Amino acid sequence: MVSFVEFLGAKIISNVSSFGDFILVSIRCFRSIFKRPFDTNYFLNQCSFVGVSSVPVVLMTSLSVSMVFAVQLAFGFKQFQAEGLASQVEGLAVIRELAPVITGLMLAGRVGSAMAAEIGTMRITEQIDALECLATDPIHYLFVPRFLAAILMLPMLTILSIYISFWGGHFILVNLSFQSSDFYTSEFFKLISSSDLRIALIKAFVFGVIISLVGCWKGFRTEGGAVGVGAAPTSSVVTSSLWILIADFVLTKLLLV
Amino acid sequence: MPMIKLHNVSKAFDQNKVLDRISLEVEESESLVILGGSGTGKTVLLKVILGLLRPNDGNIFVDGARVNIDQPTALFEIRKKIGMCFQMAALFDSMTVLENISFGLSRHTNYSSVQIRSRVDECLTLVGLRDTATLYPSELSGGMKRRVGFARAIALKPKILLFDEPTTGLDPVMTDVISKVITDLRSELRATTITITHDLKVAFNIGQNISLLHRGSIVASGSPQGFASNQDPLVVQFIKGTSEGPFLADPPPKSQITI
Ligand SMILES: Nc1ncnc2c1ncn2[C@@H]1O[C@H](COP(=O)(O)OP(=O)(O)OP(=O)(O)O)[C@@H](O)[C@H]1O
Ligand SMILES: [Mg+2]
Repeated sequence: MVSFVEFLGAKIISNVSSFGDFILVSIRCFRSIFKRPFDTNYFLNQCSFVGVSSVPVVLMTSLSVSMVFAVQLAFGFKQFQAEGLASQVEGLAVIRELAPVITGLMLAGRVGSAMAAEIGTMRITEQIDALECLATDPIHYLFVPRFLAAILMLPMLTILSIYISFWGGHFILVNLSFQSSDFYTSEFFKLISSSDLRIALIKAFVFGVIISLVGCWKGFRTEGGAVGVGAAPTSSVVTSSLWILIADFVLTKLLLV
Repeated sequence: MPMIKLHNVSKAFDQNKVLDRISLEVEESESLVILGGSGTGKTVLLKVILGLLRPNDGNIFVDGARVNIDQPTALFEIRKKIGMCFQMAALFDSMTVLENISFGLSRHTNYSSVQIRSRVDECLTLVGLRDTATLYPSELSGGMKRRVGFARAIALKPKILLFDEPTTGLDPVMTDVISKVITDLRSELRATTITITHDLKVAFNIGQNISLLHRGSIVASGSPQGFASNQDPLVVQFIKGTSEGPFLADPPPKSQITI
């Protein structure tokens, strides 16, 4: 019993202290955003890695999720003879939830894990020590370009995802449920106001913050050899996915009402 | 004023006391060689000097400034004066040799790209790797990586050079080349150097002072001549290179085979 309490206590303390460490490292990252020198090439590389290379993944997932969703909506609303509502709800769901969350989760898997693995490898092969010895702050050099690329690219990919999802829903509801294309288009945006798009972009921005900071931090704190490098991406994906879902709930609750 | 000064520096990892109240001084443009068995804390000592590891106790001064991990700006100023050659080279594996060596130059100087290129070539020539600028570290052998790491460390012409086992894993000829390069650099830049090595020949070649690190303390130090004639059983055993003696905490069992 006592040992269980001790175990629990130790677990809680270690979680709290690693959360504190995450916050401190994040603050160091925010502080060094405007520090010189700014490595433009490195930043552009990260943008292409986070943004351009993620296009196929975002394309495929958005397409399949929006199509599945349209099929389900068409079926569901048919029960009430309200097929027309399917496009409205599709639009609502895609813009408010599906596009930002699917993009966030996919990028946590694709980009956050790569950041953790890359920086983790640099940690255990002493490349981070080497950066420090060359009088370069690794948080400035490694975190900032990734962070900026993520907060810039996530909203853009979310817009792409909305666009793709529009056509995914279009394909199902127009071709298979025989709505007219004009009807679908006007209904898709019927329940949506410009604030919904803003919320989607804010969510994407926050997810970008979560993905990049968690990925970089997990890599930065990698310990041990190959096992540590293996664990860093896994735990970065799990942690950032969890935080994406929690943040999604909180943001929806805060921004919608 | 000594260039590098350690005063009662201790470092432990949990229960494992690695450095135990070490004090040492290295004068400007002096060459200190630190000898010691594997795992005695030689690398840890260098990392403590660089502020990469936080000592549990004691003070470190480099060129008059105290090394303090909690003051990053001052620490980076100190590190600009130091070139560090890592035991495993620690090259940036996503960059070419050229980018590795020019890293510090492009960040801390306002050299033009032509000037950077010529300095890189100078450094590469010094370590005998003139035609490797466009290669990636994964395309180099272990010894070549070490020499590129070496070139990267000297690119900024630092006042202090720290070498962590610069010759381990190199052939005898290259070992001699590297010890010549270290000697040349010292006469050219008047750099202060601390070299960690297992290689006695290198130690006697480049050292003006030689210290033996053993179980967290410096057990002997002196000029090469003095060190060679030191009668301390630890030193005698290390120089002779036998497994019998006080050097190992748990020496290998005596051979059971009798011939
Ligand atoms: N980051 C660390 N965490 C825990 N223990 C460490 C760490 N770094 C080094 N040690 C311990 O410190 C001791 C000294 O290590 P160090 O790397 O300084 O040895 P060394 O003298 O450089 O040996 P070698 O000649 O083999 O390179 C070892 O016992 C090692 O277990
Ligand atoms: Mg070592």
